[in-house]
Amino acid sequence: MAQSSEILQGTLDLLVLRTLELGPMHGLGISDRIKQVTQGVFTVKPGSLFPALYRLEQNGWIEGEWGESENNRKAKFYSLTRAGRAQLGKEKRNWQRQFSAVNRLLEPES
Amino acid sequence: MVLLRRAKSFWRFLFRKQKLEAELDRELQAYMAMLVDRHIARGLSIEEAKRAARLEFEGIEQVKEQVREVRVGANFDSSMQDIRYACRALRKSPAFTAIAILTLALGIGVNNAIFSVVYAVLLRPLPYDHPEQLALVWSGFKSATSRAPTSGPALGEILHRNRLLQGVAGIWVGNATFTGDVNPEQVKVAFVTPPFLSLLGVRPLLGRVFSPSQEFATKPELVLSYGLWQRRFGGDPSIVGKGVPFSGTNATVIGVMPQDFQLHFPPDSNVPSEVGVFFPFGNIYNRPRTLYMFRVLARLKPGVTQEQAQADMNSVAAQMRAGYTEFAAENLTMEVAPMQRDAVRDVRTALIALFAGAGFVLLICCVNVANLLLARASDRRKEIAVRSALGATQSRILRQLLIEGLVLCSIAGAVGVAIGWISLRALLSIRPDYLARMPHVGLNWPVLAFVAVVSLAAALLFGLAPGIETVKSDVIGTLREAGRTSQTPARRGIRATLIVGEVTLGFVLVIGAGLMIRTFAKIHEVQPGFEAQHLLTFELDLGKFRPNDRINFVNEWEARLASLPGVESAGGVSHLPLDDYPNWYSPYRPEGLSESDAATLLADHRAITPGYFRSMGTKLLEGRFFDAQDRAGGRQVVIVDDMLARSAWPGQSAVGKKIEAEHFTSKGIVPVWGEVVGVVEHIRNHSLSRKLRGEIYIPFEQTPREHLSFAVRTRMEPLALVEAIRRELHKSDKDLALSKVRPMTNYIERATAPVRFTAVLAGIFAGLALLLAAVGIYGVVSYSISRRMHEMGVRMALGASASDVVRLVMGEGLLLTASGLVLGVAGALIVSRYMHSLIYGISAIDPITYAVAIIVIPSAAILGCWRPASKAASANPVDAIRAE
Repeated sequence: MAQSSEILQGTLDLLVLRTLELGPMHGLGISDRIKQVTQGVFTVKPGSLFPALYRLEQNGWIEGEWGESENNRKAKFYSLTRAGRAQLGKEKRNWQRQFSAVNRLLEPES
Repeated sequence: MVLLRRAKSFWRFLFRKQKLEAELDRELQAYMAMLVDRHIARGLSIEEAKRAARLEFEGIEQVKEQVREVRVGANFDSSMQDIRYACRALRKSPAFTAIAILTLALGIGVNNAIFSVVYAVLLRPLPYDHPEQLALVWSGFKSATSRAPTSGPALGEILHRNRLLQGVAGIWVGNATFTGDVNPEQVKVAFVTPPFLSLLGVRPLLGRVFSPSQEFATKPELVLSYGLWQRRFGGDPSIVGKGVPFSGTNATVIGVMPQDFQLHFPPDSNVPSEVGVFFPFGNIYNRPRTLYMFRVLARLKPGVTQEQAQADMNSVAAQMRAGYTEFAAENLTMEVAPMQRDAVRDVRTALIALFAGAGFVLLICCVNVANLLLARASDRRKEIAVRSALGATQSRILRQLLIEGLVLCSIAGAVGVAIGWISLRALLSIRPDYLARMPHVGLNWPVLAFVAVVSLAAALLFGLAPGIETVKSDVIGTLREAGRTSQTPARRGIRATLIVGEVTLGFVLVIGAGLMIRTFAKIHEVQPGFEAQHLLTFELDLGKFRPNDRINFVNEWEARLASLPGVESAGGVSHLPLDDYPNWYSPYRPEGLSESDAATLLADHRAITPGYFRSMGTKLLEGRFFDAQDRAGGRQVVIVDDMLARSAWPGQSAVGKKIEAEHFTSKGIVPVWGEVVGVVEHIRNHSLSRKLRGEIYIPFEQTPREHLSFAVRTRMEPLALVEAIRRELHKSDKDLALSKVRPMTNYIERATAPVRFTAVLAGIFAGLALLLAAVGIYGVVSYSISRRMHEMGVRMALGASASDVVRLVMGEGLLLTASGLVLGVAGALIVSRYMHSLIYGISAIDPITYAVAIIVIPSAAILGCWRPASKAASANPVDAIRAE
């Protein structure tokens, strides 16, 4: 199956928040979207997705609302709250800082 | 903000859980449905699509469980669930639950009772102001075998030379009599230097205490105890300022102490906890330098440590040695003893030993319960495997097991408190004096906190072991096995180790108890130098007589006593053996020694009437007793004991030798030369287990002290004579009162009470340990046999006889016992070194005690193995084969 379903918790939160920045989405939609955008590097299984969603909702970063899916199924759609948007900004900056730090470390010394 | 949201979530979680669960279920079902839709769209049949979706999803229940764990309040929720589950599980096996709770409750209860005593006696601060600053200052002399009080002049030196003490005071407890219109009454009086009461920092209930700025009293004032104020003065609220006839003077009452006020001094200070009156000393500095009577209380300045105070006293002692030849000759030293510690120095070791013993009993209880839980855990492996298959994480299962332990322990703790309370009542009924002194031995917050901590520790101790064991097991294997298993070697290993530990602890306890019981027996065998049976004793205070009248009265009174019907003989003594009346011990000088050579010799001095030794039953070894020829003003004579005779004139007869001893004469307290006319056996004045120092007896007529005790040898039950004696005394003198009327056996009982207390408790602990060890061995062996009945059947089918099987099972139990025994001997050898000060008359490695323990422990083990062995021997080979 996927190369890596071992995603760090913080990373998963970032991925979910970023995905929801584009608009409200239900659980399956989120996991499809992550798989598609990361070209299959990350597959998010329900066992990690739902705990993450509940955690984010409890923190008030996303909120869920029942609606109709594309093929007329009832589904819970999650959208980013204002606090979530702020949090996403914070996490993005954080990630970039860490990413470039690690990259600097990995670059061959010149 | 986040906090608020989380609080809201928690609220929803607590009160709208049903809705939350339903919503989670709907959401997951929807996700699943969409997956199925997608697979159908790819062309799978409905059935195939559902299967593919399920595979991809990895189990709805597991996902739900994972979501539940991230929820706010999840810990709280699952703990509640665990507790409910634990209760259900415990209810399901009532026998296990009852045994486990009872075992633990026993261990906790015993510890609860002992800790109540330990707390009240050893740990609770003394009820004085800043008790940590209080200390006693003891003197040491070159040849004295024990620490000593100090003299008046020396007390003055300490007072004026110290640099780190806030205050110093002296106390000496004696007797005095209230006279006047009401019945004359003899009471215990604490003679104190004026700062004494204010040094303790206890506020009087009424009036005031003596002024701390005075070094000695100038007028007769007294402070009453609450008890005496109530009893003799009817609690008169206007007592302060009134004059009362007391000990030949008219003294003004200046204050009343509060009801719970007590003196906490060590037994060797002869300061009892309750006294009726506090009366200040006059000038103590002009008292003889050699009259060591003042017990010294000191209060250290704030922040001064005991070491600093000790250094300060060392320098005071050095200055005194430099300044006075007699202190130099005695090589005076001083010891600062913190009051709290000192007050309990005699019982400390025994209590700590008992506390340790109780701890051992609790450990054994925990081992037994751990074994029960282990057995249960291996029976529950299937249940646990099912739980982890349903998504329970390992930590969740561990926590569940731990919570089960906690539930057990909470119930056991509650039952234990009840058991502790009951056993504490029982303990107090065999209490030695030092416990009687403690007013608030009982349940209180520190004790309850201790019980809580102990219960918790017990839960951790036995709850985790089986837990770790269980979690290691693998799910699939267990489910497949379907329960028909024999034990894995690892589990047997843990349980065997526990049993070995149990036997080790049990052995150490049995040895400890054995040593204490043997000590108790030895102390009872001691010949104290008198015959306590049929001996009645009482005290008289003769302070109101002038010396000549006193002598006449005593002579006449002794004759009257001896002629009462039922009386065999009667005699008087200034200090009864084993009494807590302050000792009279002073320097003496045998003929032939220079004054400086004899400067450090001390002996107990006693004034006696001619009838004393005869009525006590003390043996005469040489010479004669005192008789009618030894009169006041006649030839000065003394009798000494064999201990003094041997050390003063080794290898020679003491009779006819001269000795200088302290006398109370019309010229005051002075040394007087006298001739030894007899040698008697040593009387154990202070302790049944120790010969402390030599004794010098002086005829009462030649040293007519004010206070006299009488010993009356009776032909009947001693107390039956009390009324007749009281009537006789009233006829002789209306102003005199009998006090401390007791049979002599009472003194013996009081002297043996601490040892009896320790021995009885140690015996109970050892008995419990044996019982628990037997039950523990029974539990382990019988469990292992129940799992191996099949094996036994096969063995018998293959030709093993019943006795072979019994031997096999017994061997298993006895092997464990033997290993425990070896460790136990090592442990007991270590422990008995610390018990040294508690043991009397036997060696710490007493062969009889060890022999008994080595027989008793395996007997308990055999008892424990008996039933499982005979059950194993009854295994039916046919059943074993049929079961295949």
